[in-house]
Amino acid sequence: MIRSLYILYGVIVLGTLAVAEYRGWSLNSVNEVKNVPRSVRDNPGSYRSIYSSYHHYTGGK
Amino acid sequence: MSTSGPTPPGAPQVRSLNCPGCGAAITLRSLSQAVTVVCDHCHSILDAQDPGLTILQKFKAAVDEDLPLIPLGTRGKIRGTDYEAVGFQRRTIRVDGIPYSWHEYVLFNPYKGFRYLTEYNGHWNDTSILRSLPTINSDASPPTVSYLGETYKHFQTATAGTGFVLGEFPWQVRVGESSDVSEYISPPRVISSERTGKEITWSMGEYISGRDVWKAFGLQGNPPESVGVYENQPSPLSTDTTTIWIVFAGLMIVLLLILIGVASSARNEQVFEENYAFNTNARGEASFVTDVFELKGRTSDLVLKTTSGVNNNWLYLNYALINQDTGQAYDFGREVSYYHGYDEDGSWSEGSVEDSVAVPNVPPGKYYLRVEPESDVGHGTIYYSIAARRDVPQMSFFGLAILALLLPAGLITWRSINFEHLRWAESDYGSTGSDDDDSDDAGRPMSLGNLFDQGIDE
Repeated sequence: MIRSLYILYGVIVLGTLAVAEYRGWSLNSVNEVKNVPRSVRDNPGSYRSIYSSYHHYTGGK
Repeated sequence: MSTSGPTPPGAPQVRSLNCPGCGAAITLRSLSQAVTVVCDHCHSILDAQDPGLTILQKFKAAVDEDLPLIPLGTRGKIRGTDYEAVGFQRRTIRVDGIPYSWHEYVLFNPYKGFRYLTEYNGHWNDTSILRSLPTINSDASPPTVSYLGETYKHFQTATAGTGFVLGEFPWQVRVGESSDVSEYISPPRVISSERTGKEITWSMGEYISGRDVWKAFGLQGNPPESVGVYENQPSPLSTDTTTIWIVFAGLMIVLLLILIGVASSARNEQVFEENYAFNTNARGEASFVTDVFELKGRTSDLVLKTTSGVNNNWLYLNYALINQDTGQAYDFGREVSYYHGYDEDGSWSEGSVEDSVAVPNVPPGKYYLRVEPESDVGHGTIYYSIAARRDVPQMSFFGLAILALLLPAGLITWRSINFEHLRWAESDYGSTGSDDDDSDDAGRPMSLGNLFDQGIDE
């Protein structure tokens, strides 16, 4: 019983691994934005990134 | 318990007699098979083979001193055969003055003879007498016995005494009698040898759940909860841990094949690379867009690597990977920072001049990057490069998969080892002795001190 469950679990894990690699999954998260206007190419400053207000580390030891 | 030999077939009958000690009615359920019968009123042990029911022994006990969980006279089906509970005894050993008692039920079927149920702390065993002798290997460590091709390891040897009896017995039962009991286990079975004088009786028990006993005898309520781990209790992890690790090895081989397949089939193609300079002193709009590059193949990841010459400084880049045709964008920010110096502890450094990010699930198409660099003002020009690779295998997933497969195997192994540790802790070979907290002890103690303080009249 335990062995069968473990085999099933292993198949699910390896199946997920194969799908993740095939589909190009990543542990990094990005924000998806739809319908970015073509004008951004001519005027990059018109695009407002949601990360532009990110607080940057300015330290060091 | 002693052997009674094959039981001749006969129709089930009940014979009523009267106790010569107190006149109370006595029921003989196993008829001629009973060697002794106990009057449950005056606790006289009577010779059931004697028509006059000679009193063999009297012992002092309260009428309700020890009530059988299976009332005598109750019938139940064990392994497809109807049995009737005809006898009950309590046996005890003492360790450091602490008594440890278990109960034994004598079951009778007129065609099959006797078998026994034992109960200790909610753990039950279905026991019957062996008809042939097992092979003893006393040179092994621990000693073993072999029976029907199965090897049983010695668990413990102790002297057990009878402290309370009720009903009928196919042997000359006495309160106060003792025997040396050696037990050999191969869960869920146990083989026991009982030496009384020069006679040795071998029996085999098989672990049975209290729930099954209740069901077999149609008893009301619930059986007592089992406490601790009993000597021949089967591990709830029924699969041998070796098997789990064999499966793990097989899964690792499959994982390796996936790794080889992914590594050989991945495009891992560099689709973009460019060098840039960011003047931190310059005012005005810093954002810009790159040339368009094409991502081919199926939907896959895009790994963006940023390398910068920051020195005790940082560079933050607001990235947007934008599909030129659909307007779909992937927005993310990455920081490259590197600091180093020297203090009383010596030299130190933190951060890196490189950063890598994998953008997931990027469909094929023509893309460009919108980049907006940021840093502290007044650090001059920061040089950096951006490189993008398409369809790069993510090794972190393989690491996670190995961890995910390792954890259950490790947990199963740990639980199995822990279960066996608890089992053997109560054996003659246990690392924990009787000084331990015995609140969850399920195995019988290892040795016997003085037996009983029962008042006995022979």
